[in-house]
Amino acid sequence: MKRLWNYLTIYDKVLIISLIMISGIFMLTPLVGLLSEQDRGNQEKEIVIQTGDGRVQRILLENTFQEEALIIPVEGPLGISYIEAHQGRVRIKEAPPADPLKICEHTGWIEQAGPPIICVPNKISVWIEDKESELDGVSW
Amino acid sequence: MVKTRQIAIIGLLVSIGLFLHLIEAMLPLKLIIPGAKLGLANIVILMGLVLFGFRGGGLILLLRILLTSILAGTLLTINFYLSLAGGVLSFGVMYFLYTYWRDRFSLVGISVAGAVSHNLGQLVTSYLIIDNPGIFYYWPYLVLLAIPTGISVGLVSYFSLSYLPTELSKGG
Repeated sequence: MKRLWNYLTIYDKVLIISLIMISGIFMLTPLVGLLSEQDRGNQEKEIVIQTGDGRVQRILLENTFQEEALIIPVEGPLGISYIEAHQGRVRIKEAPPADPLKICEHTGWIEQAGPPIICVPNKISVWIEDKESELDGVSW
Repeated sequence: MVKTRQIAIIGLLVSIGLFLHLIEAMLPLKLIIPGAKLGLANIVILMGLVLFGFRGGGLILLLRILLTSILAGTLLTINFYLSLAGGVLSFGVMYFLYTYWRDRFSLVGISVAGAVSHNLGQLVTSYLIIDNPGIFYYWPYLVLLAIPTGISVGLVSYFSLSYLPTELSKGG
């Protein structure tokens, strides 16, 4: 560890520390928005599904509290992605087999306005939006 | 003679890069943060840049991306363009730092800058494809991960280079 510290130049340390600070600031910015929204129920929240051709589908989050999970098939350039919404949460249940990495499938469930689920190869993004706030949740 | 040796070493570095990419694909790092990678293949790019300059390093980068995508079957798909965008941007940044600010930044700093710009290039390309600014939510997490991996990649390249016989680096 000491050898590493000696090997780094001043500029290296400045670069690394400023990167850590910038990403820390960026990480906290959306959190500030989230904290104030936390007390609200699911009444005003909705799931937004956007596809590559610009079409947007909206589903009220309160409609997902049913026995059966809601499965929404969405067509993309690679095939059909199955989106599952259940008990106020949403995830990509199944990405098409042609998607090599299936990153969106691995992202798992989201239940708050915040980071979206993104499926770049199939051009699909899914996120939760708060109808009350004018912001999409992106604050910069 | 020098030319032949250069071709052989570039070929070796490309194959090492392919192998590192395979190893990396086995690690489930992307379960923690979507899209996160170790960037082990950056070791050979950095070594190529130090040994052979712009042409050698760029050749290794392009060959590695091309061969990886052929092997994975993603040639000319979105994944291919994503890795090309990240790779080219990160190589550009590393080349600039190494050529003009070599006395200021060590290989570790150069590698960290390369890793972060790789993330940035991929995120901007993804944003252009998917048209949703929410994808930048992931940027700070990717950067925080890129710092330790960038430091390790820089150290590995530095130590590997220092153990190479000196006549190797004369070829460039």
